Amino acid sequence: MNDAAILTEGFSKSFGTQAAVSELNLRIQPGAVYGFLGRNGAGKTTTMRMLLGLVRPTKGSARVLGLDPTHETDLMRILERVGFVPQRKQLYGWATPAELVRMNKAYFPHWSDEAAARLAQRLEIPMKTAFKKLSVGNQSKVALLLALAQGAEVLILDEPTAGLDPVMVDEILRTLIEDHVSQGRTIFVSSHHLGEVEQICDWVGILEEGHLLLESRLEEIRQEFRLVIASGEGLPFATSTDVVSATTDGRFQRYVMAREAERFAAELRSQGATILEISPLGLRELFLHLVRKEDSCTPGSAGAKAAPVSSFSL
Amino acid sequence: MYAWKCWRESRARFIFLFIMSTSTALLFTLQPGLEVRNGWWYFDRSEYTRDPATVVHLVSLMVLTGLLTSGFLSPVFLGASASGSEIEPGTIEYLWTRPRTRTSVTWTHWSVSLAEMVIVAIVPTYLAALILGTLTRNWNLPLLMAAPWMTVIVGLPMLGLTTLMTALRRSASGGLISTTAVVSVYMIVRQLVMVPMHLNLPPLFAGPVIWLMHNNQPYPSAFPWGSLGRAVFLAAAFPLAAQYLLKRTEV
Repeated sequence: MNDAAILTEGFSKSFGTQAAVSELNLRIQPGAVYGFLGRNGAGKTTTMRMLLGLVRPTKGSARVLGLDPTHETDLMRILERVGFVPQRKQLYGWATPAELVRMNKAYFPHWSDEAAARLAQRLEIPMKTAFKKLSVGNQSKVALLLALAQGAEVLILDEPTAGLDPVMVDEILRTLIEDHVSQGRTIFVSSHHLGEVEQICDWVGILEEGHLLLESRLEEIRQEFRLVIASGEGLPFATSTDVVSATTDGRFQRYVMAREAERFAAELRSQGATILEISPLGLRELFLHLVRKEDSCTPGSAGAKAAPVSSFSL
Repeated sequence: MYAWKCWRESRARFIFLFIMSTSTALLFTLQPGLEVRNGWWYFDRSEYTRDPATVVHLVSLMVLTGLLTSGFLSPVFLGASASGSEIEPGTIEYLWTRPRTRTSVTWTHWSVSLAEMVIVAIVPTYLAALILGTLTRNWNLPLLMAAPWMTVIVGLPMLGLTTLMTALRRSASGGLISTTAVVSVYMIVRQLVMVPMHLNLPPLFAGPVIWLMHNNQPYPSAFPWGSLGRAVFLAAAFPLAAQYLLKRTEV
């Protein structure tokens, strides 16, 4: 159990009566690039902050590199080995990137000056300009440089490319892949850009209102996941553990299947249903099916306009 | 490295305070010898040698008065950049994800501020003492020798209070305004209680400095140990409260 880079069990956080994260069970293997997806306010940032000791969990436990982030001694060892790029990339406005590098290197035993210099050159960061005078893109690059050059075993990135243009996004993703993924290090990244996630991640977790709706290998989603649209009276919400989610709209029922879609469709047929469609799901379609509350008609959905009366997920 | 960051952030304020307190101390020290002759300033050294003891006493009191001003401003302005002030601007996420405990961050800032306070108090006062001693040829300057240390001791509760207020208000400006408000309200309430009731309450923690200023009378008063004790207690209690609060703060 302790070999996971990040492990959470029943990890929960409430702010007053508002549950931000509920009973979250994550298991991120060393070397995995894990995309953490969810709508705004789904609990992604809170989860990351709990893993870094910025927020205390209300319930449950977590291990980062086998260490408990709620214990100060462990937390210090975690912070030595984990790089973090926060959503709000706010660093000291008066400091130049060169000063920030100097300041940062003193904290980390595995800091690499060579990596810092290489990244500064590659990302074309103006190292002698005060941070507050840098563009948003360059500020993001500085935050990423600091996290990458510290020689972290795990990178926790909270929307690292938010607000960046496509060229910068591409540059940052390539840097991540070449400098971190290729070295077998772990990345836990949240993003709203599903294309980016598909580009670099091998695992995804989808969070909605603090609940983990799905955790799967991206490859498995591409190969196994299917959308089954059926019509008929009195169709079940779910009759199998392979059903990831089921939504209904009048006579149409949509099932997101993790596997065994054909077998499930046959089962529905045997109950008198008409199967309108069995189609593969990309990450984007899967995400939308899982988290959308007001589902509009999507291409290939046989004209079904689902505003789900209720939804079910495992 | 966090100490360097504290210095880098506070150095403009430190330089301002240092220049202000040094120029004030020098002005007060040279003031007895300055006079206007033929429409221009002239410095008459003989003013210092005519009655050296009196000149030393008067100049020391004036320097101490100036020192009190910087003694109040230093802890408030230097303490306002404590780690709590980084919460609202958002840099706290960066700071608290470095492998340093919040306790060490709090006390490192406190130590840097203390060092700056000591320099702002000592250098101008001892420079004034050096000039005064040279001009009067009287090196018996107990008031000037003790004054900066007493000012620092009295300033420490203010530094702690500012550290606590920045943690409570989560910003430098909030901490600064709150500290000033707390001190002002305390002084107003104290006056409102003391004046109509004809009370003579001992100072809460500024006793050592007040004692220094009034001690060279024909009938010297006893040292205010109670006030010193309260100063030491508050100097420790405020930053400890800030440390407790920051350790439990979520961002």
